[in-house]
Amino acid sequence: MNAHDDDDRNDLRYAEYALGILDADARAAVAREMIQSEAVAVAVALWQRRLAPLTNDIEPVPPPTRLWQRIRHVLKFDAPMQASRPSFWENLRLWHWIGIGASAIAVASITLMVTTPRREPHTVVGTTVMVSSIKQSNGVAGWTATMDLERKQIVVVPATPGATPQGHSTELWLIPEGQKPISVGVFTSNATTTLPLSPTLLSQLASTATLAVSIEPIGGSPTGQPTGPVIGQGAISGAPASHGHSNPTA
Amino acid sequence: MSVMNVVEHEELNRLLAQTSRGDQKAFSQLYDLTSPRLFGLCLRMLSDRQEAEEVMQETFVTVWQRSTTFDSAKASAMTWLATLVRNKSIDRLRQRQGALIDRNFELDAMVDEQPNPAMRAEQDHEYERLRQCLDELEPQQRRSVREAFFSGATYNELAARAKVPLGTMKSWIRRSLLQLRACLNT
Repeated sequence: MNAHDDDDRNDLRYAEYALGILDADARAAVAREMIQSEAVAVAVALWQRRLAPLTNDIEPVPPPTRLWQRIRHVLKFDAPMQASRPSFWENLRLWHWIGIGASAIAVASITLMVTTPRREPHTVVGTTVMVSSIKQSNGVAGWTATMDLERKQIVVVPATPGATPQGHSTELWLIPEGQKPISVGVFTSNATTTLPLSPTLLSQLASTATLAVSIEPIGGSPTGQPTGPVIGQGAISGAPASHGHSNPTA
Repeated sequence: MSVMNVVEHEELNRLLAQTSRGDQKAFSQLYDLTSPRLFGLCLRMLSDRQEAEEVMQETFVTVWQRSTTFDSAKASAMTWLATLVRNKSIDRLRQRQGALIDRNFELDAMVDEQPNPAMRAEQDHEYERLRQCLDELEPQQRRSVREAFFSGATYNELAARAKVPLGTMKSWIRRSLLQLRACLNT
């Protein structure tokens, strides 16, 4: 087998990857190569460009209006509302505190008391959350992830994250005990990121599960499984229990 | 079926560039212009409305957060968006339990989708070239490539659906890809 044959065989694999026909393991192998080699990333991008015009053959289907509303909501585009109701999730000091003290408070189910001035100045609503302090391999807390079961979202706040390699994304994973990781989503390593929690993810949230962060190609792992190095891991604390006592107005 | 022309592609590139500078209005326009096509793609791949909506949501959240990494020299905005959607959809397909072989596709009975002839004059050059190169493939092989692209199925799934041996499907697809590369590079 000469070098030319090797090149051809590899280029075929990149073509198969771009076509989307490889199984999960073979996809992961190509994705790892893309991270390690710019030449591979370029070869894959070239195939994606060759094949992408096929999407012109798709019959357009207008998505429901609620989809755009959800995207706006997740990205917090409704600024006026934010101004009148400072979001609990934006309280960075609290996040920082949780980041530092996660191990100390990671004991039991935590019910955070959230004031909602929009309704009444002293109305208090209980929110059941789960917390995870994601530690990097050097032992330093990289991020604090807080899962809000009622709002079905997870907020990732940076503590002291290491730098993300140029041209890569950080992706968050939920790993149910003894199972394969499930992607939670790509997040911004050095800024607060809110991600939606799908029903699948919500159903797998448990104190036996862990969170992990991996380095992935831009936009996230193309395979559905981590393809790059895992740079952080954290246990989840706080059980998803309902608390009848927590909402006096209910 | 609606093929984008060069002007539309450039408009999308511009909107994505503005989105990367935090322009919510541009982002909203980008969504309006691309979401029907991308949602159609999600639905085609996942055959599940709720999952398709979830993939769309993840995609556009990623677009807002990661649009600074878009490089128009490497890919058009539409290619970038479609690749994001396809990768996220394939992720989901690979996570599903067991192969979905219930969706048979009849290689011989399938009718090739053809673009509306009236639109061919104005449509984008890359699309036209790809179509010409696909037309040069054997019908069964062309249909297999298209089915692979639009369904996100693995070799195994595709072979089972088409009721051909795995080796046959592999050689069809690989030969087609090499032929496409040669044709597109000329």
